[in-house]
Amino acid sequence: MLSKDQRSYILLHGVPEPALFDKFKACKVKACVIPEGRPDLKAAQVNSRAMLKRGMAPVLIADNMAGFMLYRSMIKEIWLAYQVGDDHGALCDIGALIYAILGKKHGVPVYGYPAAEKRRFIGKPQEIFCFCQKRIAPRDIHGYVPLLEWVPGTYIKRMYE
Amino acid sequence: MDTPLFWPAHIKGRVLYVLDETLIPQKVVYIKIRTSAQAVRVIKTMKTRAFGQFLVVLNTFLLEIQFATKVTDTQLLRRLQAAAKALNASRPTFPFSEVTGIVIRWAEEAHCSGGDLRSTVQRNILGYMEGIRRQRLDRVARLAGLMRDGDSILTHCNLSGELAMAAALCRREKRKVQFFVTETRPYFQGAKLTCWELKRVGADVTLIADNAVASVMSDALVNKVIVGSDRNCANGDFANKIGTYQMAVCAQEFHIPFYVLTQPSQKVKTGNDIPIEIRDDKELLVFAGKRIVPRAVKGFYPGFDVVPHQYITKAVPIHVK
Repeated sequence: MLSKDQRSYILLHGVPEPALFDKFKACKVKACVIPEGRPDLKAAQVNSRAMLKRGMAPVLIADNMAGFMLYRSMIKEIWLAYQVGDDHGALCDIGALIYAILGKKHGVPVYGYPAAEKRRFIGKPQEIFCFCQKRIAPRDIHGYVPLLEWVPGTYIKRMYE
Repeated sequence: MDTPLFWPAHIKGRVLYVLDETLIPQKVVYIKIRTSAQAVRVIKTMKTRAFGQFLVVLNTFLLEIQFATKVTDTQLLRRLQAAAKALNASRPTFPFSEVTGIVIRWAEEAHCSGGDLRSTVQRNILGYMEGIRRQRLDRVARLAGLMRDGDSILTHCNLSGELAMAAALCRREKRKVQFFVTETRPYFQGAKLTCWELKRVGADVTLIADNAVASVMSDALVNKVIVGSDRNCANGDFANKIGTYQMAVCAQEFHIPFYVLTQPSQKVKTGNDIPIEIRDDKELLVFAGKRIVPRAVKGFYPGFDVVPHQYITKAVPIHVK
C-alpha cells in the first residue's frame, strides 16, 4: 500500500515501447503507477510484466484513481504512450487526455513516448459490458468504447521518438 | 417511478432487509439482518453503500430496541451506544457518527428526562426517515428540473435511485435526456446499478469506461455532469466515489457544468479534514476469484476522493436536521 508521503511515483499510461522500461531502470526508477487500461487491461498486464522483469515494482490503480494521487501530490511525472505525435499533439490510448489535464492542473510534467503497437480507434460495445470475460452490465443498454484520443500538444512537455 | 435503490433497506417484523447491491443486475436479493454485527458486516463488505448505509444505521437501532424486550432503559441505552460505536467504526469516510450521534442524543435525553426511551427513539427514527424520504423526493423533482430536453448527462457511480427517478420524471414530461454512465471500477456501481435502474425507467443509457470521461467531454457528447456525494464539508467541498475528482477537473477544463447532490453538514470544515478510506488492494487486483495481473504486482485502492467546492457549478442539497 502506498502512503501519503511517497511523492516520487511515475504514472505510466498505455503500453510504450520496451525501451522506456530500460530507460526507467537506467534512471533507477523503483516503482511506477499503472492505470489498468480498460477495456482490455493490456496496459496492466504488459507493463507490470515488463517492470517486474527489470526489477521494478508496478503499482496498479483503476483508471479512475489517478486524480486522487495527483491531488495528494503522489505523482511526479506522467508518461503517455502515443501512436502518432508531433508538436501539435499525440494520439494516445484512451484515458491519456484525463492524465494530461490532471498534469496541467497540478503542475506535473507530461511526456510522450512511442507506443509498442497500434490500436483500433474504437472498440465494440461488448468489450465494455464484460470484465475478464464476465458480464457486468445489464442487457439492452448502449456501450461506447473509444480506444484512442487526441492529446493537444499544449499539455505535453516533451515528445520522445 | 420508484427504484429499489431509492430505499434499499426496510424492517419487517424483527428482520432488517438490506438490498444486496453487489448482485444487481443479475438478481434483486435482500440480505436478512438481525444483529448489529451483521449490519456492520453488510456495510464493511459494501453489500450496501451510500444512502443504503444511512438506512442500515437507523434501522439497526430499531432492531436493537425490538430485541431488547427484557432489559432496563439503562441497559438499552448501553446497547444503543455499543451499536453506535460499532457502526461508526465500520467505514471511515461516510459520516456515520453524525447519524448515530443524533439517535444517541434522543436516547440520552429520553433516559435523563425519565421518558419512555423505547417509544421516543422509535418514533423519532421513523419520523426522521420519513422526513428524509420526503426531502429526497423533493430533490428528485429539483434534479429533474435541471435536465433540459436534448441534454446528455454524464454520471459516475450511483445516486441511490434519485437520478433514475428524475429520468423517469423527464420521460413523463416527454423530455429526451440521454445518460452516459462510467463503469466505476472496481465495484462497477455505474455499470451494474446506474445502468440497470436507468434502463428500468426506460432511459437512454450508454456505458463508458472510467478512462473515457475526457473523451466524451472533448467530443461534446455530454453537456452536464451530475454526481452524488458521500460526505460534505462546511466550505462546500465534498467526498464521493473515487474518480469524481478527475471528472470534475475535466468538466472545468471543457466548461461543462458540474452538479452534485449534497447533504450539507458543518461538522467537517474542508475536504482536507475528511478521512479517506484506503481499501484492500485485493478488491482491485482480484476479479471473480482470479488475479488480473501477476502475483508480485501491488495495488492501491482509495475508495473516495475529495472534490474542492470550486469545481461545483451547483449543489442540489437536502437538509438533514
